[in-house]
Amino acid sequence: MNRFYYLIYFLSFSFFFFSCKKETEIIQQPIVDDYIFNVDSEPVYQSSAEKTKEKTSEQYVSILYSNLFQQSIPQEDLTDLSLIRTALGDKQLADELIINGLVNNSDVIIPTNEQMRDNVDEFIDGVYLRFFLRKPTAYEKVELKQEIENDLELTPEFIYTAFAISNEYKFY
Amino acid sequence: MKRRGFLKKAALTTGAIISAPYILPSGRLFANTGTRVANHVVYVLFAGGIRHQESIGQQFLSNQGFPTEGNIMNNMLSGNAPTAFTEIYDPWTPIVSNPLSSQGTLFQEVTYSVGPTGHFNGHTVAMTGNYTETGLNLVENPEFPTVFEYYRKHSDPVHSAMNAWWISEGLNPYYTLNYSRHPLYGPMYGANYLRPNTIFGGEGRQQLSSINIYHPDEISKIARIKQLLDNNFDQSTGVLPGIINTPEDRELIKSFIDTRIEAVSNYTMEIATPGNDYSKLNGDLYTVSAAWQVLDEFAPELMVVNMTNSDVCHDNFTGYVRNLHRADYGVGWLWNKIQSHPILANDTIMVCMPEHGRNLLANNIFDGNGLESYDHSANDEDSNSRRIFSLIVGPSGKVVQGQQLGTEGAPAAEAIDMVPTIGHILGFKDDVPSYLFQGRALEEAFV
Repeated sequence: MNRFYYLIYFLSFSFFFFSCKKETEIIQQPIVDDYIFNVDSEPVYQSSAEKTKEKTSEQYVSILYSNLFQQSIPQEDLTDLSLIRTALGDKQLADELIINGLVNNSDVIIPTNEQMRDNVDEFIDGVYLRFFLRKPTAYEKVELKQEIENDLELTPEFIYTAFAISNEYKFY
Repeated sequence: MKRRGFLKKAALTTGAIISAPYILPSGRLFANTGTRVANHVVYVLFAGGIRHQESIGQQFLSNQGFPTEGNIMNNMLSGNAPTAFTEIYDPWTPIVSNPLSSQGTLFQEVTYSVGPTGHFNGHTVAMTGNYTETGLNLVENPEFPTVFEYYRKHSDPVHSAMNAWWISEGLNPYYTLNYSRHPLYGPMYGANYLRPNTIFGGEGRQQLSSINIYHPDEISKIARIKQLLDNNFDQSTGVLPGIINTPEDRELIKSFIDTRIEAVSNYTMEIATPGNDYSKLNGDLYTVSAAWQVLDEFAPELMVVNMTNSDVCHDNFTGYVRNLHRADYGVGWLWNKIQSHPILANDTIMVCMPEHGRNLLANNIFDGNGLESYDHSANDEDSNSRRIFSLIVGPSGKVVQGQQLGTEGAPAAEAIDMVPTIGHILGFKDDVPSYLFQGRALEEAFV
């Protein structure tokens, strides 16, 4: 009889424990400024390890566009860029071409070099949230800050490009 | 142990040690041992399902009830052109001085023995050297290794992706054919896939015409930050999709794409039409033109290029004849260009083969000229779709010139023979595990 009660306790505990597992498959876009100023509470990833699924071409392109222009991608552009990504065998090459084309668009929203260097910490928090949907670890923040401070010609455009072609950006 | 048993086991052990494969520093079991016939191969998949009757048979409209025959592939094949009803295909003057069949070996009768004669099946068979029996999942890479993977893995030293290109007229699902799912091969040995109609066509011109080619120091800044980010992400590049070029090669390809988009936009890129007339371009000739640009720029050792426009034969026989005639012109144009290149000339062998044939019996669709249309059966209803041909063209010291092999009753080759034949040309055939090749190298085509 005791075994039966133990089984009931175990199943109840298991149900309670596993039913509270945190949902981490998040691909929606947060409002970056809300995070920086602690206004919003939308969920973000706790770490890069939570990203295990590869984005489709459509996901990659549409998210990249919204990251760079802060608006949804027009359907025609989404179709074009998805086809371009499929029409090249080297996806890294395709992504570099796509990001290159987008950052050279006059409507792209990228901070100036001066804006970045006015508040490097804020820029780093912002770029991690914008592209990776998470805050940087202390180590990551120090690393990127050193790169920015040691190289005055390292512009936000180059940093945005590096984030957009990084391995982590290809996953969610 | 008895003396006799000891000696037997010792002999077996010694034999096994001697015959065991050597593991090279590159991880390969054997060094590349094959002698090359040539250092470059261009493999043309021609051109969307071609009936034997209008190609090798040179029957033109005679099967449509019109009293006219003749050769509409004057660049590839010997034979007089039709003299009547030629207005339906607007004949172009041949671009080669002698038909390519006289500059190589024509396998007049090749058979596609097994499996459905569908376009993707046909491409898969042609590019893997293995028949596919069943319907294919259209978003999956093929089961057996592609010719690119054989070439790259079994060449010593292992060649970069810049040496292997897959130039396709179509997008879906052909983009999956640049590497296989085979556990011993895969994307690390794959080819650079390029669909010119997208990259140099409307989408590319719209989206990529403003790309900015960075200076090397700018590229290194971006690469440094990317490396920093990648170091903090657990997913290795091994799980990332697609083939990988070196950073240096990527920059070369980017620059290549940038300049060609501009050239196409300005109508200054050389194209495979008479008089460089852009109004005469179709998808096939656009693809062939871009294939030449890749050959001219990078001189790769292995390129596969396809044409598909003749598939309009499902409901437009007139368009089929017209596109077949243009595809033939494209092949002649490409061969002429190759002979003008300082690296490729006299060191390139071109292999041409339709991915499959078409039916003997027409379907019930008539085109605007009242001509009957033809499908390609996906099963054994009409074995005519299993009749194809192959043309192997090359320098006289390497390829037997003017040779014609095979008859309808006695095919000289199979569709699965082209991959081992390319392996023979590029010297890697004997390094590929024999169980992966169903076919044979067509050595009778070579001197």
